[in-house]
Amino acid sequence: MAEALLKVAGVSAGYEQQMVLRDVSFEVPEGSLIALLGPNGHGKSTLLRCLSGLLRPTKGTVELAGKRIDNLPADRIVGHGLVHIPQGDMLFPGMSVYDNLLMGVYLPSARVRFEERLKDIYQLLPRLKERTTQLARTLSGGERRMLALGRGLLTGGRLLMLDEPSLGLAPIVIDQIYEVIADLKRQGRTILLVEENASRIIDMADRIHLLDTGTIVWQGDGRELAAQPQILETYLGG
Amino acid sequence: MDYLIQIIVSGLTLGSMYALSAVGLSLVWGSFNCLNMAHGSVMALGAYFTLIAVDSIGFPVWVSLPFAMVGGALVGTAVYYLSVHWMLNTRNYETNIIIATFGIGMVMENGLLKIFGGYPYAQPLTVQGVAGLIGNVPVNYRSIVIWVVAAVLMVALGLLLTRTRAGRAIRAVAQNRDGAKLMGVPVARVYVQVLMLASLLAAVSGILISTTLQIVPYMGANPLLKAFIVICLAGLGNILGALYAALLVGLVEASASTLWAPQYGFPVILVVVILALIWRPEGLFGRVMVARQ
Repeated sequence: MAEALLKVAGVSAGYEQQMVLRDVSFEVPEGSLIALLGPNGHGKSTLLRCLSGLLRPTKGTVELAGKRIDNLPADRIVGHGLVHIPQGDMLFPGMSVYDNLLMGVYLPSARVRFEERLKDIYQLLPRLKERTTQLARTLSGGERRMLALGRGLLTGGRLLMLDEPSLGLAPIVIDQIYEVIADLKRQGRTILLVEENASRIIDMADRIHLLDTGTIVWQGDGRELAAQPQILETYLGG
Repeated sequence: MDYLIQIIVSGLTLGSMYALSAVGLSLVWGSFNCLNMAHGSVMALGAYFTLIAVDSIGFPVWVSLPFAMVGGALVGTAVYYLSVHWMLNTRNYETNIIIATFGIGMVMENGLLKIFGGYPYAQPLTVQGVAGLIGNVPVNYRSIVIWVVAAVLMVALGLLLTRTRAGRAIRAVAQNRDGAKLMGVPVARVYVQVLMLASLLAAVSGILISTTLQIVPYMGANPLLKAFIVICLAGLGNILGALYAALLVGLVEASASTLWAPQYGFPVILVVVILALIWRPEGLFGRVMVARQ
């Protein structure tokens, strides 16, 4: 296994008096696709918010490429190479697709070879090229997700965190999004993927962590998970 | 016909002055939901800055404009660090920030009163004389200067917001604060820039207003009220809408003043705005917010 790009050790976090995460630990090796699986409302998105700095952990440490990032604000963490594509996309609705993509290269370090990398994004997500002047708020759900993905990729981060990329999309669009994720995996990108639907990630993920009521209750690879249907039954309802 | 020309000339002059102050107020509201009650005092300070530059320091008159603009921007920075910086992300922020900025505005106004007294001063940065006639209506140089200054600043603001990295960051933060953070935008720095920009515009607006009236410590109260009316009419946080609404309010006020009497200007504005908001509660240029239940 490659060396861990991301190390999460004993992280706890929550909102005001409500603890959502309790003592979560896992690693994301360089070049791997790690999936966080779990039912709705059990802390998956909160965990990603903690890692990207949108929420400060109350306990534990987060290291990216050997550097502690849990005490940094979100705008500094992205500069260290952690890209968070959140649920709901967090696009800039009143800005054009192109301006949204330009925001992906806001940091000077991300602006290197911008034109070339934008071409790569358009190749990977051709729909964006057709919509460059369109306002983000006028895009369909699938196009919005692709824009969020393209914008995130332009930041040039080393670790891509995707929060439920299939949420609320039509099956055909989900297939397209997962084709793009598979492409990224083939390119050797390091990906941390949050998903509720086990069937989508069981063959794709190098390792799966099952999160339930804010703690990791099971971990293994797709084959192991497929061999234990009672786990899916217990935690995800089949 | 002359009445119509008079209304247009006066309306554009009033609208240009209102636009500068309203756009700044709208920019601040749109960026971090702050109804900046110190905005009117910054307008007054802008007018006093020209007085300080020319009378106290002895700068040439033309230097007093950039001097006041820089002064306004610095005051905006101070407003941020005295209030928003400490209150943002706290409970009841939107209410508390109104009270805090109102307090800061009062301190500024009373500071001016203490230093300069309540005597009215003439604005040193002004031009006199009639440039020409449109029909039988005289158009003075002062009105032309007001139009040009407002137009230049509005175009510059538009270009800044749409064509520059800093402007895109301002729009991004206004549209999705967390999304902007995830792109590496230092949100607190953007807020400071927004207040600097808004206060710079307020300072210039104060200078322009004082060329038509006089410089007194409380001169910002009425323009602040008008700016607030303008941004409500436009739709809160809508910058381009604030520009159009300011011109509309200026034309309505000029119509009432020209056709009836100056004292009817403000009541007629209020009637028009109330009717407009009954028709479109989200503002003439605002967007309806739809909340999922």
